[in-house]
Amino acid sequence: MPTVLITLPSQATGWEAKVVEFFKDQLKEKEAQTAVPSLNDVPLHYLKPDGLVKFRCLVQDMFDPEFYMGVYETVDPSTGAKVRFKFPCGQSFSGSFGVDFSSKHTVTVERQTFYCVPIPGENPQARVVPSTSYVPSRQKRSYEDMDVQPQKQRDAQAEPHGNGDCKRQETEAPSGQTTTASHLDLNFPLPGEKGPSCLVKVYEDWDSFKLNDALEVYGVLSVSPALSALADEKDALLDPSGCMETAEEQRVHSPPASLVPRLHMLYAKRLPHNNPLLPCTTPQDNSMASVRAELHSFFTRVLLGDALAAEYLILQLVSTVYSRRDVLPLGKFTVNLSGCPAVASYAERLYQIIQQLVPSSFYLAMSLQNMNRMRLVPKKDYVANRLVSGALQLDKNTSLFLDETRLEQGQLDATGVRNVTALGNLISWQKVDYDFSYHQMEFPCNVNVLVVSEGRSLLPSDCHVRLQPQVAPVTMEEYVSSIQVHPHAASQLNKFRIYLSVARLLDYSISDNVTKSVEDDFVDMRKDDPQSVSAEDLHRLLVVARLLSLSLGRTSLSRDTWLQAKHMEAQRRSRLEQHRSVNGNEP
Amino acid sequence: MSRKDYLAEKEKCKRFLQEFYTEDDNGKKVFKYGVQLVAVAHREQVPLFVELDDVAEEDPELVESVCENAKRYVGLFADAVHELLPEYKERDIVAKDSLDVYIEHRLMMEQRGRDPADTRDARNQYPPELMRRFELYFKAPSTSKPKVVRDIRAESIGHLVTVRGIVTRATEVKPMMAVATYTCDQCGAETYQPIQSTSFMPLIMCPSQECVTNKSGGRLYLQTRGSKFVKFQELRIQEHSDQVPVGNIPRSMTVYARGENTRLAQPGDHVAITGIFLPLLRSGYSQAVQGLLSETYLEAHSITLMNKTEDDELGNEELTDEELRSITEEGFYEKLAGSIAPEIYGHEDVKKALLLLLVGGVEQAPKGMKIRGNINICLMGDPGVAKSQLLSYIDRLAPRSQYTTGRGSSGVGLTAAVMRDPLTGEMTLEGGALVLADLGVCCIDEFDKMADADRTAIHEVMEQQTISIAKAGIMTSLNARCSILAAANPAYGRYNPRKSIEQNIQLPAALLSRFDLLWLIQDKPDADADLRLAQHITYVHQHSHQPPTHFTPIDMKLMRRYVALCKKRQPVVPESLADYITAAYVEMRKEARVSKDTTFTSARTLLSILRLSTALARLRMMDAVEKEDINEAMRLMEMSKDSLQADKSSTTRTQRPADVIFSLVRELATEGSTGRGGAGGVVRMAEAEQRCVSRGFTPAQFQEALEEYEELNVWQVNQARSRITFV
Repeated sequence: MPTVLITLPSQATGWEAKVVEFFKDQLKEKEAQTAVPSLNDVPLHYLKPDGLVKFRCLVQDMFDPEFYMGVYETVDPSTGAKVRFKFPCGQSFSGSFGVDFSSKHTVTVERQTFYCVPIPGENPQARVVPSTSYVPSRQKRSYEDMDVQPQKQRDAQAEPHGNGDCKRQETEAPSGQTTTASHLDLNFPLPGEKGPSCLVKVYEDWDSFKLNDALEVYGVLSVSPALSALADEKDALLDPSGCMETAEEQRVHSPPASLVPRLHMLYAKRLPHNNPLLPCTTPQDNSMASVRAELHSFFTRVLLGDALAAEYLILQLVSTVYSRRDVLPLGKFTVNLSGCPAVASYAERLYQIIQQLVPSSFYLAMSLQNMNRMRLVPKKDYVANRLVSGALQLDKNTSLFLDETRLEQGQLDATGVRNVTALGNLISWQKVDYDFSYHQMEFPCNVNVLVVSEGRSLLPSDCHVRLQPQVAPVTMEEYVSSIQVHPHAASQLNKFRIYLSVARLLDYSISDNVTKSVEDDFVDMRKDDPQSVSAEDLHRLLVVARLLSLSLGRTSLSRDTWLQAKHMEAQRRSRLEQHRSVNGNEP
Repeated sequence: MSRKDYLAEKEKCKRFLQEFYTEDDNGKKVFKYGVQLVAVAHREQVPLFVELDDVAEEDPELVESVCENAKRYVGLFADAVHELLPEYKERDIVAKDSLDVYIEHRLMMEQRGRDPADTRDARNQYPPELMRRFELYFKAPSTSKPKVVRDIRAESIGHLVTVRGIVTRATEVKPMMAVATYTCDQCGAETYQPIQSTSFMPLIMCPSQECVTNKSGGRLYLQTRGSKFVKFQELRIQEHSDQVPVGNIPRSMTVYARGENTRLAQPGDHVAITGIFLPLLRSGYSQAVQGLLSETYLEAHSITLMNKTEDDELGNEELTDEELRSITEEGFYEKLAGSIAPEIYGHEDVKKALLLLLVGGVEQAPKGMKIRGNINICLMGDPGVAKSQLLSYIDRLAPRSQYTTGRGSSGVGLTAAVMRDPLTGEMTLEGGALVLADLGVCCIDEFDKMADADRTAIHEVMEQQTISIAKAGIMTSLNARCSILAAANPAYGRYNPRKSIEQNIQLPAALLSRFDLLWLIQDKPDADADLRLAQHITYVHQHSHQPPTHFTPIDMKLMRRYVALCKKRQPVVPESLADYITAAYVEMRKEARVSKDTTFTSARTLLSILRLSTALARLRMMDAVEKEDINEAMRLMEMSKDSLQADKSSTTRTQRPADVIFSLVRELATEGSTGRGGAGGVVRMAEAEQRCVSRGFTPAQFQEALEEYEELNVWQVNQARSRITFV
């Protein structure tokens, strides 16, 4: 519980602002940030209650605003003296006197609650933070013994007033929590996710936060069991007069604090990326080119010796939606890698390698069962009044790996069709239509999609690359199994990781004279072969050229890069043509 | 701040209720509230709405205080009404329910047993809440705008606010105790307890004089029959999708409806609710748990249902003059059309057609026969010519629209399905996309991929604008007054101009003829256009926004409002133009017969022209169709036909525009000569120009042809340039 400050009317107001300001200033320092323990890494029971913590998270849901008394008076029944409290956090102050609800000095203020989950699909290497204050050693604990006490004792401490309820809670709360824990859905977007989710209370400027924003929140941790009492003491609360809050809603909006701690936000910053390695080193242009070459040769090996596909894979990994024009997202680059060998779960191996390189990713096997069963699109649950998450509620720049080699023949049911449509929408427009049952709401997203399939994918894609394995089919199985997950030293992997994140964040521009030559080129191309070059092709060419420049660490388009991009596209097309003439029947 | 003198305020309320009047047509005073008070006094009216607009006429200050402290003023007004009621009672009233009888008895008892010595304890007095049989509500002043749920902040607590939203949940209507009545088992005295909150602590000890002095310890028992209950319902409303800022979750709000306001809204309804925003005070244990947090609710005063098209923030407010001027300036037609999907380059005529689809023609129903006004358009074209983008843009622009793909929707999904309700086991009808798009646009992508059986369901919708259902014992006809915008891919990958449309799209002629316009969007090489396209695309990539054009595209919201405004017009075709239209139609038929057209020219074509021209008149905000409208409609028809016969020029001999214009004029001349008995080879210039323009030529082309053939000495133009004479 944050410190209760008692102010007299004569005292200067605005101290709350000053406190928040102070913390913000302190937190701007790099060291201060690392000194704050992170809820992501440190188990909850090691953290000091009412202490400062940070939490790297994704805003999964936004609840309705809460109203509370920011300033209130209590009356001492024995003396009749009034004490006025100013209480910025609206938490229950259970003093021995009753709160005077009819006082005219009462000021009602509001705050906003966000339901936050750890960034979905975050890969283990992205969670490693260079240094934290948390060292789970014995020594440290005994040193902090005064503060960090076993859960039970702390519960008792948090409720110092000795009324009857307290005792009951003490004995009942833990058992109640263990039972609820088993069926309490923490609403993670991706299946099999673990980690703390958190109710973040925002006191100012909440309109600037959006759903699916990745944030680093610094705030005061609150795990007081009094908060979860709401959920536990259902019988006492559900008065017969018919409060509309259903039990389910109660459970969702005030889950046990030991499972879903509350975090009173002091300061939050939006994360442009979630790569922890990034700020340490900023590589130079020339080094980027060399890293790129290394990565390229690495990918070539992984992609069965296909150098062109390796190029496109790099481009895919550095792509990002940099702007939107009405409905048209610019910069998205979905690659469909077809012709993958169906041996030795090649696609999964490929994913494991990509997983090593990007901060967050998700592997979706497009098996019939998955498509028919999984919830991809988030849906509003009006009974519990929350947004039930779906697998497509992802942070920006998450790599979504769609494995179509797992698709088999069969029937897609209604859910399956909806899911495939949602994936198609995601790829074509980079948006997900959340289901609000009475209407749909469009939420823009920015997800890198890679579709791996045997034939051409049933999903749309910006760029279809036919894989040409250089490995003889006989030795294929052997080769695939020889692709190691850890073929390189950790330092090299780190280099790749930094490279990919940096390339994605670079600025980019096209100079006017290059624009001119691009335009002329296009007109010439159309003249030569009008059927094969359309506006869409120009869009793609420009995106390829952009990504190619960025992947080389160049921030503007040069004539050479443009020609290179054209060359790559031509190669890719001729490969598709070849394949078509061989197979004949493919559209 | 000095406390307000609420007694004086109450007098103000009283005076208002008594004195407010409006003058009717004859200049007679009509006491608006006086009349209502009489009705209330005779138990003929239960809700009494105090319109704050009326209050504002008398006392603007009072309105302000009412809006800021609504709960208190409800009480004041109710007190005022209560005190006034006896004055308005003109005759004895018949008891309507048991509570009336009960109240009557109590009043009689009081009068009979009145004993100057027996001063009753104040608590045993009848509380006014028990005796009141009316409900007093405020109607918000028209100057206050409906708010969005997220704009209701802590400052609004206690204020009278109007919010709009969609009802997501509604509880059953339950009786809620308003006044609890107890009787004492010792002295028999009655005690009343008015209840304000959702829960209350029952009284136990009798507070009457007798029991207190005797210390008899009389116990109180709750009397259900003597207590007053009100109807009570809880609603939950949620913001509209268009009121939510991008990237936010819609907020919701709890609404308490009492008395006459219950049972007005159901889940899924769009509502505007005026009410008082109040914190919910809990008592007892739950208060201790909840601490300083308080839940809030809106106490409903009036609930209005609205349909979605209306509350889309456009129907309510008129366009300002400035906005109107910005739209209706020179070349507004091109500008509006250009504002449709500005990121898609070119296709001006297609966009114009889509604009007309949004506006829609006038529906006619002479003597019960319904002729639809909605315009149906089918876009065909090679893959990758932005058909789907156009569709999705229209889907977003239209105030009411549904988007489906032919592949993803069965006939049932498009029309309606009969479902069994899992709870009640009743059969219910669930509307499909076409029903949901009633009075809107239904966009169907990949129209050609739809199964034949499903497609037949659309036939009825496209002409009759209804859907007839006869299944599972439900026989009904649902309205589906929607425009259909379909997109189809050619059957053989690319459109083959040598084949007919049916063969190309593989759609039956019956369906195709129901489309007013069929556009073939083709990707044709053209160095000039290519360069502009390239510039456009590279600009978008370079600056990540649209290149500056000669106009800035009109904002989507403004456009929506303008279209809604246009839709209000009902232009008619004046008598004088009838001949012109018939002549044009006959001409088209003749031509279709001669040139072995791949499209159809039927009576439906004539209706299409009428629809398009009324839509054009609507767009100009005129009440009558003009000749230009018809010309433009015919030009669009012609262009759409042209697009289907795109490669005619390459297969047959190339016809220059000038040649075509010449043949047109000659035709006109021969027509004129037969009609007027061989007056011979003279054509009026205006007529000739009109004919050419309606065939899709520009006036400039016409002038060019005129000069060219004049030089060849084929015809002569007179000095005033009003007549063409063939030599």
